[in-house]
Amino acid sequence: MRIYYVLLAVCLSTAFISCNSEDNPVVVQPLTATTVRDLAADPTSMTSASGQQPVAATGKFTLFSFKDNKQVANTDSATNKWDVGFRGTMIIVNGGAIRTGQGGAYVHTGTFDEISTVPASATFAQDQSATQLAITASSGKGWYNYEPTTNIISAIPGKVLIIRTGDGKYAKMEILSYYQGGAITPTSTNVARYYTFRYLYQPDGSQILK
Amino acid sequence: MQPAPKDTLKARPIDEVVVTATRAERPMGALPLPVTVISGKQIQQMGSLRLNDVLREQTGLAVVTDHGQGIQVQGFGPDYTLILVDGEPVVGRTAGTLDLTRLAVGNIKQIEVVKGPSSSLYGSEALAGVVNIITQTPGETDMRAKGSLSARYGANKTSDFSGDITKQWAVGQSGKLSVYAFGNRYQSVGYSLMEGSQTVAPFTNYTGSGRLTYTLSPTLKLSVSGRFFTENQSNAFIVGQTTQVSGLGTVRDYSLNPVLTQQLRPDWKMTYRFYRTGYLTETNLRYTAGQEAYDASFFRQTFNRPEVVTERIFNPKNILILGTGFIAETVEATRYTDRKQFNTTYGFVQYEWMPTLRWTVIAGGRYDAHSQYASQFSPKLSARYALSSGIALRGSVGVGFKAPDFRQLYLNFDNAVAGYSVFGTQEAAAGIARLRQQGQIADIVLDPARLSAIRAERSVAYNLGAQLKSPELPLTVSLNLFRNDVRDLIETQVIARKTNGQNVFSYNNLNRVFTQGAELESSWRWAVGTGYLTLSGGYQYLVAKDKSIIGRIKAGTVYRRNPETLASERVRPAEYGGLFNRSRHMTNLKFFYEQPKKGFSASLRAIYRGRYGFADRDGNLILDSDAEYVQGYMLYNLSAAKTWKSITLQAGIDNLTGYTDPAYIPNLAGRLWYTTLRWAWKA
Repeated sequence: MRIYYVLLAVCLSTAFISCNSEDNPVVVQPLTATTVRDLAADPTSMTSASGQQPVAATGKFTLFSFKDNKQVANTDSATNKWDVGFRGTMIIVNGGAIRTGQGGAYVHTGTFDEISTVPASATFAQDQSATQLAITASSGKGWYNYEPTTNIISAIPGKVLIIRTGDGKYAKMEILSYYQGGAITPTSTNVARYYTFRYLYQPDGSQILK
Repeated sequence: MQPAPKDTLKARPIDEVVVTATRAERPMGALPLPVTVISGKQIQQMGSLRLNDVLREQTGLAVVTDHGQGIQVQGFGPDYTLILVDGEPVVGRTAGTLDLTRLAVGNIKQIEVVKGPSSSLYGSEALAGVVNIITQTPGETDMRAKGSLSARYGANKTSDFSGDITKQWAVGQSGKLSVYAFGNRYQSVGYSLMEGSQTVAPFTNYTGSGRLTYTLSPTLKLSVSGRFFTENQSNAFIVGQTTQVSGLGTVRDYSLNPVLTQQLRPDWKMTYRFYRTGYLTETNLRYTAGQEAYDASFFRQTFNRPEVVTERIFNPKNILILGTGFIAETVEATRYTDRKQFNTTYGFVQYEWMPTLRWTVIAGGRYDAHSQYASQFSPKLSARYALSSGIALRGSVGVGFKAPDFRQLYLNFDNAVAGYSVFGTQEAAAGIARLRQQGQIADIVLDPARLSAIRAERSVAYNLGAQLKSPELPLTVSLNLFRNDVRDLIETQVIARKTNGQNVFSYNNLNRVFTQGAELESSWRWAVGTGYLTLSGGYQYLVAKDKSIIGRIKAGTVYRRNPETLASERVRPAEYGGLFNRSRHMTNLKFFYEQPKKGFSASLRAIYRGRYGFADRDGNLILDSDAEYVQGYMLYNLSAAKTWKSITLQAGIDNLTGYTDPAYIPNLAGRLWYTTLRWAWKA
């Protein structure tokens, strides 16, 4: 696979020079985005004795590997096997003072389809402490907005999370929904803390994301 | 209903006299400003009890709910319309809304609504418009005592008892003493739109008001009016998922208003006024199960104002009005650190000039010097030109402002449950210092020192219209186009981030918005049999948008979620729906039928409010997708009354089709029937 992308990169960097399939019979297979539906991010029981805050089920993060497109056991949290983790509205990456991997994150403004490479201006933040995460867990600051009149969490459209994975590769991801079933217009009756997102993982270690 | 007045057979009503537009009595038809007058008689025919019932049926006004029912004028929220009773402001707003249900309408002579800014006469809050409630005054000529009693019962166990009485006495040679008194008791068990929770809690309220006028001589008149209102609410609601919270709440307001009018010369009048009003609320909520405290809070506000106004008529073509006054306001509340006070000194001038029979020009301005924020100058110029005896053009340009309110200046609130904090601009520095000392501040986003120079919200407004009053036909048509450009809109802003991940909010001058639209009103009166039918209709078209959002959409930096794929895409300019809670289309059609000889009257009113934005649902914080709108709806209200001598029986149904929208429109209770018995007497 690697050679294809090098060729593609050459094509891109020499866009003025003819570079088509007649000159080069190798057809580049574009990477495809994967959509993950209803990934539970420590959903709550919704029966609270005090009636104030719903009780969280475990308090643990749901860890996820882009390469394998599957959840990683919590016991592997101190390895670089996982890339991102979810708990409530918090999204963590596998890099920084409180992690063991090489990960990081950069929040890009634009659309998922348009961004085809890690931007030159990207600065990757890492999880330095529980309150200083690469992706700020606060309304309007990271990936979501909280609407106080309806109590709805919605993923901010036009935010693409550029992720450096636990083992130093690159991926882009977009959160599509925070509610079970990927509710398009969630209401207070929808069950929260279920992520639907799409991502595109570049296995060759390059910064090309298409 | 009053015993049929003598002039009811006239085909057209005489031109109403209004005071709100110029602070002096002027015939409505001659004014260069859009003014609506709702007569007390019409209010009775509509079967309205509270001010919100009356205003929601008027063209261009929408009653919106946010901590009470307030009024939206020309696309501005309730904070921007000044509510007056006999020219004096009603105070006591919660989150900017002055709850219109506090005002009973049984003692009203007429309601005057001026649209467009009137800060040039009234100062702060008169940015979108002014609603002035003119209460009953003792008759000028009739010396006999008269009064009325009415009782009403209707759906939701709603009962209303009203009574009023007026009497006059001659004192000495030229003196005259008159008294008008009004009392009202209003009670309801409220209603529930959702299973298990009360939308409106049971309440009982009492209103007492009165006026004493003493004509000492033909040139000197003293009037003292007062008002008292008290309401008790029994709250019960659910927090979280299942926990019951209940408790009592009380709301009170009072006012006292002595006014001395001195006619120095026939062409020179002095008015000395003093106004004192207060507003108090108290809430004590507890968990129903264990009776532990949930929220105990109070709010106390006072407002004192002496004012002197002089009206000098140089000749019928040149009239000058000058006024000056001083306002002292205080507030004490649970969420404020201590008793807060602020003062305003102001002066205003208005010159009316009628150079020819066709032209009326009014120029004026007001200067407000305030103890807490920058001083304001609010000029206004308006003119009317009569094209012919029936058609006139009118236009005005004016500046309106709204001062930062107590909450925006002084709030000091930590939400213990959710973990965020909100500080008024004058409290922000101290609040941040306190939180920092407690180790709660992660980083500062905006230096709080920059906030203390908060400015008033200001708008420049243009109104342009035409009115037609047919000399031959009983037809009137009026059209008004409006545009308001607002800057320094005060919005909440994050000023710091806390270590718990929550934010510290304060207020700042942020946005620039505009509202623009058109309003069309028409009425036609026919003789039908021995009575007559009045058909009136109104329509408002409104666009209200945030200028910075328009700019960002044009720059391609605002995104939305595709409703089918959930993928992000750019918002197109046409998809931006503007500010939330504004209907692009609002319309009404009303039939009033009256047969004075048989003492019969009836009305059918259809009120339509077009769809409007409720809240953002796709994360971009703006109104752009269909799911973010509340559906438009039509209300039909029906009433009929029959009078036998001094007894009137009225029955009616509001919201005939029983339309409700429990999730989004809490103030629509469904179908409401009522019946009223009224007795009017004369000694």
